[in-house]
Amino acid sequence: MKRMKWMHVALIACLVLALAACGSGKSQSRDQGQPGSSDAASPSASAAPKGKTELVFWAPFSGPDGPFMKKIVDAYNEQSDRHQVKFQIQPSGDYYKLLDNAFATKKNMPDLMIMHLDAIPTYVSKNLLQPMDDLAAKAGIQKGDYVDAAVNYATIDGKWWGIPLDIHPLIMYYNKDLFAEAGIEQPPTNMEEFLDAAKKLTDSSKGQWGYVVPTLWPQQFIFPTLIYQQGADLVDAEGKPNLNSPEAVKALTFLKSLIYEHKVSPENVAQDGEVKLFLQGKNAIQFNGPWMKDQWDKAGINYGVAPVPVFFDQPGVFGGSHTFVVPKEQTDAAKLEAIGDFLKYVAGHSIDWAQSGQAVASKQVLASPEFQQLTQQQTEVAKEFDYVHFAPPIPNWGALVGELWTQVNLTLLNKAEPQKALDEAQNKALQALAAQK
Amino acid sequence: MRGSWKSKLTSSLFVLPYFLCFSLFLLYPLISGVVLSFQDYDMLGSREFIGLENYKNIFTPGTYIHDQFVRGLTGTFKFVIYSVPFLVIVGLALALLVNALSARVRGVYRTIFFMPYAISATVMATIWMRVFDTDTGFLNLLLDRLGVSGPHIGWLNDTPWVWFALVFSTIWWTVGFNMIIFINGLNEVPEELYEAARLDGANAWQRLIHITLPSIKNISTVVLIMTIIASFNVFAQPFLMTRGGPGYETTVLLMNIFNVAYGQHQGGAASAMAILMGLIMMVISAVVYRLLSGRRA
Repeated sequence: MKRMKWMHVALIACLVLALAACGSGKSQSRDQGQPGSSDAASPSASAAPKGKTELVFWAPFSGPDGPFMKKIVDAYNEQSDRHQVKFQIQPSGDYYKLLDNAFATKKNMPDLMIMHLDAIPTYVSKNLLQPMDDLAAKAGIQKGDYVDAAVNYATIDGKWWGIPLDIHPLIMYYNKDLFAEAGIEQPPTNMEEFLDAAKKLTDSSKGQWGYVVPTLWPQQFIFPTLIYQQGADLVDAEGKPNLNSPEAVKALTFLKSLIYEHKVSPENVAQDGEVKLFLQGKNAIQFNGPWMKDQWDKAGINYGVAPVPVFFDQPGVFGGSHTFVVPKEQTDAAKLEAIGDFLKYVAGHSIDWAQSGQAVASKQVLASPEFQQLTQQQTEVAKEFDYVHFAPPIPNWGALVGELWTQVNLTLLNKAEPQKALDEAQNKALQALAAQK
Repeated sequence: MRGSWKSKLTSSLFVLPYFLCFSLFLLYPLISGVVLSFQDYDMLGSREFIGLENYKNIFTPGTYIHDQFVRGLTGTFKFVIYSVPFLVIVGLALALLVNALSARVRGVYRTIFFMPYAISATVMATIWMRVFDTDTGFLNLLLDRLGVSGPHIGWLNDTPWVWFALVFSTIWWTVGFNMIIFINGLNEVPEELYEAARLDGANAWQRLIHITLPSIKNISTVVLIMTIIASFNVFAQPFLMTRGGPGYETTVLLMNIFNVAYGQHQGGAASAMAILMGLIMMVISAVVYRLLSGRRA
């Protein structure tokens, strides 16, 4: 009898455990090769003390840049006696899924969040964001406080929808040791110097290359850059995709020629192949974003930073931007005031964010001596602000250009010709446009 | 007394926890998915009932979702055809080898071959990308050392090498599971059959063909169907290692479903694609099962 009782207890314990295990679910957040990201969700510890308005602030800074934003938030919380910001970092690979989920279920909605600048048109078209004009005015924030390009992009239908934090454009990294060995003193600034340097730096018998051409990411930054430098864009005047323009074909032909004609790059470069070669000191030049700095530092590469060379007619570079936005549902006056106050603080104190390697969008910080003294890359990146372009402000733009990157990939792998590939990309983009109602 | 209401109640209670899990995590999502496939959902809250339109679009050539479905299905079919035979045969071969070892080392090798199954997809992909990368990968550097001349092979972005890379890494990752099941099946074969065969002068190969294989027929069918289903569900390897490249050669159906849902923000269409995929898998599994267990000597 006693044994039976023990059996019952043991079995019920197992069942309870099984239920608990079932309940914990099997979802894994998976990073999708986003630059500099890892899985971390760390809410800021403190609960709001009495009398303070609490703000929940979401950001996708799950990489090494997270602590720099936390520093700013903590400093703000300390100096403010009326407001408290609760900072929550979400895994960057899943950020938009979490955000979309919050929008869809209307639960767990943050009060303030970071959004990429080029996502704003999509969310504005779905009527999910709130214009910042009022809260900016109340907090004493003006459009002129920030870099024009970002502010103009975020102004849709005369309303200001996002206050920028930083701008992260394509930037050139180069291996100073390899440059010195080849006797090159200055990083290239135009097409001629670039080809000259790349050829000098290439020695395929040693497995060393001047510029390894990526075939997947980050072509999303490189290919548009080459188009902007010809004074063109990926959309036409009416905002329809224009992926097979003569300028686009010229850009793609140039990239392909680097591999097969000038031979400064190996063929069949796989995802992150150019990064791996750069880390091994076998790739002299790399075009990528400021977020790569951390990887280069860890590997101990003696790298230099410079603006992207002007390959064609005019300076131009593709960039992204982290921008603060507020959901439409936010109507609490006290919270709106708190948001304005916090953003005003950030505009004046985002030097901590610059320490993470980013170039901030606040003109005040850009002009400050502390920023000018930053030696890592921030000042080089900031030089590009005069001619940075963002993705076309078309809702769901990313969805239209999926095929473009496939065709760019095929062309650079020598499995397609530039004109035909871009024609195909254009067809598919129009098809995707038709599928969107 | 069997059949008394008390024993029925007890057995129901034992089944209840699993049934709750099943309903919550399998049945409810499945029904939601079917309902969703009849709607137009932009992933941001607005839903609209549109009947069979998603399905119609999938079967209409020229629409965006048709192309996504066909491309994905082609990639998935290719992967299934290339990977399943090896996964089953290598699994069986490993099981035979391990069983032929002495009892002492058998456990060690079983564990070694099964270990890769326990690691996550991201770790597996990182390891094999290190091996297969064109210019920094271990394999190409090894080939260089061995004097193989010519440009480096693009294991991750050149057809047909890319399939080799995907299938090989999949085998490394998951064959341990098939091996374990085959080992169980092999252990069930009565030893007397082998003894009798040896007495009759049968050699190892004849024993394999005439005793082992027929005896494990049922379990082989199970392994085959499970492997087909698992290969249909492939996502991590092409997504992480080749990004569906070159171009869309290794783009599989699950990748495109994911893209339609989260990239195109069309949850209903993606759900329809997923339901269709499930139906196709069911049909294929049923056909395979019929073919293999229909034949009774």
